[in-house]
Amino acid sequence: MSSTVLDYSKEIPVVEGVPSASQLDETIVKPINDFPQRNWFIGLAITGTMLGIGGLSLAWLLYKGVGIWGINQPVAWGFDVVNFVFWVGIGHAGTLISAILFLLRQKWRTGIARFAEAMTLFAVLCAVQFVIFHTGRPWLAMAWLFPYPNQHGVWVNFTSPLEWDVFAVNTYFTVSAVFWYIGLIPDFASLRDRATTTIKKTIFAVLSLGWRFSNRHWQHYERAYLIMAGFATPLVLSVHTIVSFDFAVSIIPGWHTTIFPPYFVAGAIFSGFAMVQNVLIITRKAFKFEHLITMDTIEKMNKIMLVTGTMVGYAYIMEFFIAWYSGNATELFVFINRATGPYWWAYWTMMTCNLIAPQLFWSKKVRTSLLASFILAIFVNIGMWFERFVIIVTSLHRDFLPSSWGMFVPTMWDFGLLIGSFGLFFTLVLLFVKFLPAIAMAEIKAVVPGAQPSHHGNGASH
Amino acid sequence: MEKKLYSINAIYHTPNDIIRAAKAVRDAGYTKFDVHTPYPVHGLDGAMGLKETKLGFVTLAAGILGAVGMISFASWVAVVDYPQVIGGKPYWSWPAFVPVTYEIAVLLAVLGTVGAMIAFFFKFPNTSHPLHDTPYMKKVSSDKFGVTIQAEDPQFDEKKVRDLLKTTGGEVEEVHYTEEFLTFKPNTFEPKFLLLLAGIALATSAGGYLYFNKVLYLPPFDWMVEQPRFDVQSTTDLFDDGLTMRLPVEGTIARGFMPYPYTLGAKADSVGKLLVNPVVKTAASLDLGKRKYLTYCSPCHGNFGSGDSRMNGQFPNPPTLHSDKVRTWPDGAIFHTITVGQNVMPGYQYQLSREERWAVVNYIRTLQRAYNAKESDLQ
Amino acid sequence: MSALDNVIIPKKELPANVVRLGWILTLAGLALAVLSYMTDANRAAFNNVIGFTFLASIAVGAVFFIALEYIAGAVWTTPFRRVLEFLGMLLIPTLLMAIPLFFKLHDVYHWTHADAVATDKILQAKAPYLNEMSFMTRFVIFMVLWLAFYFIFRQNSLKQDGNKDQKLTKKNIALAAAFIPVLAISISLFSIDWLMSLEPHWFSTMFGVYYFTGTILTALAVTTYFVVSLSQKGYFFKGINENHYYSFGALMFGLLSFWAYIAFSQFMLIWYANLPEENFWYIERWQHGWEYVSIAITLIHFWIPYFMLVSRPSKMNPANLKRMAALLVFAHFLDLYWLVMPTYNNAPVFGYHELAFPVLCIGLIIVFFALQAKRFNLVPVGDPKLQRGIDFHL
Repeated sequence: MSSTVLDYSKEIPVVEGVPSASQLDETIVKPINDFPQRNWFIGLAITGTMLGIGGLSLAWLLYKGVGIWGINQPVAWGFDVVNFVFWVGIGHAGTLISAILFLLRQKWRTGIARFAEAMTLFAVLCAVQFVIFHTGRPWLAMAWLFPYPNQHGVWVNFTSPLEWDVFAVNTYFTVSAVFWYIGLIPDFASLRDRATTTIKKTIFAVLSLGWRFSNRHWQHYERAYLIMAGFATPLVLSVHTIVSFDFAVSIIPGWHTTIFPPYFVAGAIFSGFAMVQNVLIITRKAFKFEHLITMDTIEKMNKIMLVTGTMVGYAYIMEFFIAWYSGNATELFVFINRATGPYWWAYWTMMTCNLIAPQLFWSKKVRTSLLASFILAIFVNIGMWFERFVIIVTSLHRDFLPSSWGMFVPTMWDFGLLIGSFGLFFTLVLLFVKFLPAIAMAEIKAVVPGAQPSHHGNGASH
Repeated sequence: MEKKLYSINAIYHTPNDIIRAAKAVRDAGYTKFDVHTPYPVHGLDGAMGLKETKLGFVTLAAGILGAVGMISFASWVAVVDYPQVIGGKPYWSWPAFVPVTYEIAVLLAVLGTVGAMIAFFFKFPNTSHPLHDTPYMKKVSSDKFGVTIQAEDPQFDEKKVRDLLKTTGGEVEEVHYTEEFLTFKPNTFEPKFLLLLAGIALATSAGGYLYFNKVLYLPPFDWMVEQPRFDVQSTTDLFDDGLTMRLPVEGTIARGFMPYPYTLGAKADSVGKLLVNPVVKTAASLDLGKRKYLTYCSPCHGNFGSGDSRMNGQFPNPPTLHSDKVRTWPDGAIFHTITVGQNVMPGYQYQLSREERWAVVNYIRTLQRAYNAKESDLQ
Repeated sequence: MSALDNVIIPKKELPANVVRLGWILTLAGLALAVLSYMTDANRAAFNNVIGFTFLASIAVGAVFFIALEYIAGAVWTTPFRRVLEFLGMLLIPTLLMAIPLFFKLHDVYHWTHADAVATDKILQAKAPYLNEMSFMTRFVIFMVLWLAFYFIFRQNSLKQDGNKDQKLTKKNIALAAAFIPVLAISISLFSIDWLMSLEPHWFSTMFGVYYFTGTILTALAVTTYFVVSLSQKGYFFKGINENHYYSFGALMFGLLSFWAYIAFSQFMLIWYANLPEENFWYIERWQHGWEYVSIAITLIHFWIPYFMLVSRPSKMNPANLKRMAALLVFAHFLDLYWLVMPTYNNAPVFGYHELAFPVLCIGLIIVFFALQAKRFNLVPVGDPKLQRGIDFHL
């Protein structure tokens, strides 16, 4: 136990030092106004190349059809659904940070909420492309996915978990986008008033809808933010729950298990935080946000990863235990096959990266080391991708009849699209940090020391 | 352009000052005043004397609308308009409708809240407010706090207002505006705007037409239509005779198919004596016979076998089935005629199974009996 | 620190009439339980399982919230942490309440019958886990762990009253970090042992989470009831504000929504897949009158408290909070009744047998609280977070 004892009677400041509001504005707006650094262009070149690879794979996919992938019977869901679940999972951190941590009044979320929300949107976009293209003929997908009156007199099947997914992902994307935009309105107004060129000014004036910082507006705005957080919280749970229903309502051993909903949600938060952590550490360094995104924030992110990682580990073990406890031979076979069958390497990659690696966060030294946090977050991302691979591929490749057993071998196009999705994600992130304020200006000003009245007695019935 | 006074403002530097100032302005009895802060300041709502926002009711209403609407819609689809058995479950499988209902409830609640807030509570978008683009706005959007007292306030008096704001420690400024700036209203029926709308409509229709009627039939989108397969009654160079449709291998019969030994040349009366009707006249069999009769026989022989169908007069007249000849025929003779045909009548052995043909025979017998009822049948 | 001393009321015993009520309920419950055991021992044993798991819920849930406060760095619960620390003491009567069950295991748990196991392949496969020896071993291990963690938390907290040493907070934070994974595993296995194995063929991976959620919700409801009714009578500190109430209400609201989410997910997955190895458990609870109990649970455990706590003012209204807390405690009882009793009888039964253990449990909660309120401070006066907790503002 180290000799330094924190003073628990004081709140840990969200922002280091006592920057004035205009200093904060300067710091946050600097990346937007400055000509981008050379590293930004290098980054954009790399992600652009990745995006190009994805684009080529997509074009070939559209031309040829999903037969270019490694999927076939019995493994009819391959990288497409693995990537979909992976990216939707990543997309959960943003809303979690902005909604749940907001409701729990965790002020340290302020510095990272904005770009975590942006990452949510980008990740959901990445996820959506896989579900759209895995339908095979996406140019007709609208007809299968949305309930609209048509001359065939048919409707979509509301009993199907895949249809629930359509509703859940669309709702999630819409609500996250609205949440993000509402948060941006005051910042757009600030940018409007700071703008030096007419074009910028016009754009920001339109985007800000005419916001004028009136307290008669703030009053409704704050309540709306609270209400939206209240809705986004169960929404974020419901989305990954419904993704888990895609698997769990079936009778496939390894898919049909009742713990899937909370287990998927925990996994989603886990992977989402890891991705936010990765982007966070780079952005913080590149834009010199060290005093706005403090070490304490990074440490707390690591703690949440430790908790959710352990929750996911709990689910792994509970599944295994109940598979044995149930006395169901196929159930037990699937789990033993996961650990010792032909895809044992995927299973043990998942176990190492998701359950064992985050346990290093028990040490404060690791938690507060940027390098260690960054590397472990990458491990978690890899592990969570493999978790979806293990769930989907290993449960399918051994069908009930040994005559229907098979293997899944991804093709170069599978990898091309995976690389492309990372390219899309990071390209959007790079554009975002350049053109929009990466930290919520109005929010962070409100939590700086001295930003609020020194005592609460002012007739406030807030 | 004449400029009017919109408001007198004051700038403050700390959150404590602004709370004090807001209270002072409120206590002085002003109603048309506002406070501007770069971020929400705790306790300001109370200091300004603002009432609790009613936004929550909008949320509740929109959420309930979404939930009730969606579960009703899903139930209507599943039970009334398009009932399908899914997974052996009842049509109204309400647990399966919970996820979509929940999502739509959340969607409407959030969109309703935000939409109502922006449109009705804020009256946005509004980018031409007198305060916009003033030095005052630039200060409060960055790091200062401001109070405005509007000229339209009933007890507005320039000097009193200035004094009040000064005594609370503010730096006083004024905002003026021109009437035209505020009263500008875009004209909906402006030709340019209408032209734009027409252009959008045209482009959308043309795009939709091209997409659904042209693009979808171009490669690769048509690849599920254009398949490497032979359609029926088309030609091929795969076989010598050039036909895609093939005959079964000689000497084979389909499962369950009983070859019929007599041909068109055989006389109905003589064959009829060799065949015995194996089908008992039950209600089910007669019903089957009736249905088959109405499908295959009635177009020529008429609904009741009198030969009075629409064909009468356009064709060699189909004979009535109530003639003495047919009535005295044995069952087998009618069966034979149905099977192989007679004169212009084709055989029906490929359309009707053996049982069905016998059922038709029985039905014809019933019709004949009904048309020539005896006294005893009425008792 | 003088400012603090002016507002807090460190120590105040419970009103005498409440204590008297506690003793009366305890004795009445005890008498009924004995009578129940004498007239229908089998039925009494099943009710004993309900009472035992109910009391365990409150005790373990309270320890969980103590750990949660430390690990999450929460401040608004700090002034009320003693309520949780007092409730944790219920681990002792929980332990005692299990003792009669060990003599009746054979009547309650089907898997204890050697002849039944001999002819049942599935039970044979489970025998390495479900046997009396390992069952009892696990029980002892869990109890020792829970008691050990509880007493260390409590000891450190009480010590801090005197020396105000911040190191003790740090120690408890480390302890809380260790406790949470221990609790996750122990409470899951505990619920599998005592509740899920009543139907030894049935299994659900969610079950541990289901019981755990009910557990912490109940512990929170009991805590809320104590906090609200005592602070209305002027306990804790002067100037308790609606933000404190709101936080209790919001947490209760969140947890009951989470409970509904878990309960519905478990039901939905089993209903949808419709596998005979799982669905019989729900079918048992949807016939012979159990369907009414099932519907009542959804109403009492979710719909009614949900709509009664959904608005902001309703979470700040002390009378409403108290009502809802009491309702949720009852809901957990009903939930356990619904989990346990279908194994005893295929139709719901209600009589004085079912009344004995609830009465006893409520009596014990009051008595144990009162006994400690007599000896210890009701407010952790030495806690460094106390001032922040009192000033707490949304």
